[in-house]
Amino acid sequence: MATTTAVLSAEPIGLPRRFLAMLPGIGLLTIVGLGGKVLEKSIAAYTKAHHLVVPNIEYVLWAILIGLLISNTIGVAEVFKPGIATYEFWLKTGIVLLGARFLLADVLKLGAVSLTLVLIELILSIGFMTLLGRIFGLSPKLTSLLAVGSSICGVSAIIATKGAIEADDEDASFAIAAILALGALALFTFPPIGHWLGMSDRIYGLWAGTGVDNTAEAVAAGALFSDAAAKIAVLAKTSRNAMIGFVVLGYALYWAARDGRQAVGDKAAFLWQKFPKFVLGFLLISLLASLSIFNKDQVNSLANLSKWAFLLTFAGVGLRINFKEMKKQGLRPFIVGALGEVVIAAVTLGLVLGANKLVKL
Amino acid sequence: MANRVTQGKPKKSLSLDGWAVAIALLLAALVKLGALKHVGW
Repeated sequence: MATTTAVLSAEPIGLPRRFLAMLPGIGLLTIVGLGGKVLEKSIAAYTKAHHLVVPNIEYVLWAILIGLLISNTIGVAEVFKPGIATYEFWLKTGIVLLGARFLLADVLKLGAVSLTLVLIELILSIGFMTLLGRIFGLSPKLTSLLAVGSSICGVSAIIATKGAIEADDEDASFAIAAILALGALALFTFPPIGHWLGMSDRIYGLWAGTGVDNTAEAVAAGALFSDAAAKIAVLAKTSRNAMIGFVVLGYALYWAARDGRQAVGDKAAFLWQKFPKFVLGFLLISLLASLSIFNKDQVNSLANLSKWAFLLTFAGVGLRINFKEMKKQGLRPFIVGALGEVVIAAVTLGLVLGANKLVKL
Repeated sequence: MANRVTQGKPKKSLSLDGWAVAIALLLAALVKLGALKHVGW
């Protein structure tokens, strides 16, 4: 009798069990997100009933704050972690659904402006972060990861680059911690600066989409300003995400040559592998909306479904930030990241304002 | 008794992006077909 043992390294547990493991965390995301929504409504009703003049705090901020409070006080139990990690799935689902709110012509016009800004921002931020990394004596691979994280799309870009350049786990953790901490900071700095400068929804949205690193934080920073700004931030950030393959390929080739390893074989396949496919979903839904496949009520339904998906994302943003864990990573990568971010935020602000003068946004 | 170890072909599973696009398209189809109506906020 033969005993056959199947070795399946890719999927140790089946899909139903993985789904079940996610349920507690998804439940927590829902409770935190709804908590934020209820708090916004209750405070608005209370202040209105008592004729108080208090600035309205959006559900986005409440959801993030409740998440932050849980994560940094009682902590998040292991049972919730697989579900909380789905925040990125909700983010991408929300972005694809939001495509219904864009006509393809708008996507092409704003996308072209965003792409031009993104290209300039990429060159400047990669150059500046590399210089800062050298000045502060960070390891070259950590510097590469920080440069990619701050110039493209935060954590996803760091993870994609880590594999391509064969960086250490420790360097990747440093870079991810720095980018997450700075993303959290952007949530509390971008919206007040936008209001202070009297920016329009479109200009602010473009700035948040090109200036904030991580996609979830970029969308949240947009939503904290206004719904319209969030919409534009999603478009600008999506254009930026589309560049990930090219930058990761560039770094992979550079590090392969430097380490004396074999360079990337099929570059087209590499680019396709790294390309964020949800961008195609976003364009497809936008194309369908442009062809009037959906009526007005259906577009509203899709936009609201997108908001529900973002609600879970914002709850996840707060729940995964743990300041104690970040502190353990040390201060230097954080300082490099912070200095870089301030410069990137200033440069992207200048670029967006300049673009507005050239092509009325 | 022979102890045979077979190297199972790694299953092609949908990526995170693939799942997000699939679920979003499914929701769009449900809205289009009228199974999901007047989704509120």
